[in-house]
Amino acid sequence: MSTAARPVLAIDTATSVACVVLAAADGAMLAADAWTAGHRHGEELLARIDALLARTAIARSALGGVAVGIGPGAFTGLRVGIATAKGLAAGLGVPIAGVGSGVVLAAAAVAAGAVPPDRPVAVILPAGPSERTLDVAGVAIRLPAGLEPDLPPGAVLVAVDLDGRAPADALARGAAARAALAVELARAGAARLRAGGDDLARLVPEYVTPPRGIAAPTGEVAWSRTRG
Amino acid sequence: MSRGLVLAVESSCDETGVALVADGRRVLSSVVASQVALHAPTGGIVPEVAARAHLRWIVPTLEEAWAGADVGWGDLDAVAVTSGPGLAGSLLVGINFAKALAYVHDLPLVGVNHLEGHLYAAWLEDPSAPDRPEPPLPALALIVSGGHTFLSVTRGSLRHEHLGGTVDDAAGEAFDKVGRLLGLPYPGGPAISRAAERARRRDLRFPRAWLPGTDDFSFSGLKTAALRAVAEARAAAGMDPGDRESALPDDVVG
Ligand SMILES: [Zn+2]
Repeated sequence: MSTAARPVLAIDTATSVACVVLAAADGAMLAADAWTAGHRHGEELLARIDALLARTAIARSALGGVAVGIGPGAFTGLRVGIATAKGLAAGLGVPIAGVGSGVVLAAAAVAAGAVPPDRPVAVILPAGPSERTLDVAGVAIRLPAGLEPDLPPGAVLVAVDLDGRAPADALARGAAARAALAVELARAGAARLRAGGDDLARLVPEYVTPPRGIAAPTGEVAWSRTRG
Repeated sequence: MSRGLVLAVESSCDETGVALVADGRRVLSSVVASQVALHAPTGGIVPEVAARAHLRWIVPTLEEAWAGADVGWGDLDAVAVTSGPGLAGSLLVGINFAKALAYVHDLPLVGVNHLEGHLYAAWLEDPSAPDRPEPPLPALALIVSGGHTFLSVTRGSLRHEHLGGTVDDAAGEAFDKVGRLLGLPYPGGPAISRAAERARRRDLRFPRAWLPGTDDFSFSGLKTAALRAVAEARAAAGMDPGDRESALPDDVVG
């Protein structure tokens, strides 16, 4: 079986609830698991993936690709998810695909019926203790503390991980989106893999703005190589 | 005697490293992607930038380590990874990457203390002297790096005893801070060494980092003295900053 026809694994660790999904190559969800990871996504991620593979009797070597949420979202979670996805893809020799965590949450909010399908969705997530990130159709901006989001006309706000820091109706839509996340993550991940996926080396988190006034990362790394 | 083939991953600070080591000593390949240039504009490591760079370079580093080494996944006996100490965000990248590699190939994952890694580097075979025996035990070790400065004694396999260490900065941090003081580029150590080679005056003596009567070190007196010397020299006008730093490297290792 070519990698294109094999089942795929999708991971999202951008929010406090981590999600892993197995999907058929066409994006249909086969099985999923989600758990409250807080800021400790790494501790359970592989064990949850292993349990999911066992439950579906899919060998890890049978996976045809790995998809991973690249944010915006929690820095620690994104690092864990992307490092794990890269290790799995590099180890298995299969393609990787990055999907926007905000885009998938927006699709999930619509799929859950929390947002009418004809309305733009603005997903708002925490970015550190006081700032937030606003993601509209994959374009994300950082909102400094105190600044209220300037929504596009007709947009519906979906808030995730912002209990006490966002309106109740937006938080309720966020909860609905989260409940439908696995199906949309499977669909988006498989679609991007079918389209060829992303460069395994270059895939990095979508952080919106580099922290602490750092300009866009420049400069190469310097290599040293020793051969036995 | 075969002690297996280990794939090792390191990401504790600002270098992404992957190595293949056979029989506990023989380096089949060792590849390091250093981010020094990336952190130069800020004069120090920004943890967030470091973590992102690890994510960016870890796969190319792995691929480079495999390239040319005449072995494959099926030959591995274990995956090792630096478990700490180090920058939390940077460590997470290597740890989760290594965990996934071990998982995929059903290999044991061995977490390694970064400082023990430094110690055991002395056990690696020198390709130019492959017949040289392993260091005998007990062995005294002095670790001087960007983040650590300490003395320990190794009495047996994985049996180390801490003798003493810095009570404030690590040697590398002291170099970086003095380098910044002198307007030298980051990292401070190599820049100060280069500047010291051109020193015209060699009569200035700085306090030693070693705390007499102990096995401990302190760099605060040295930094204060450097600060004072720089201020005096600037007041005395227009001298080359390289003149005043010739004593620092000597004081750390001399
Ligand atoms: Zn080190």
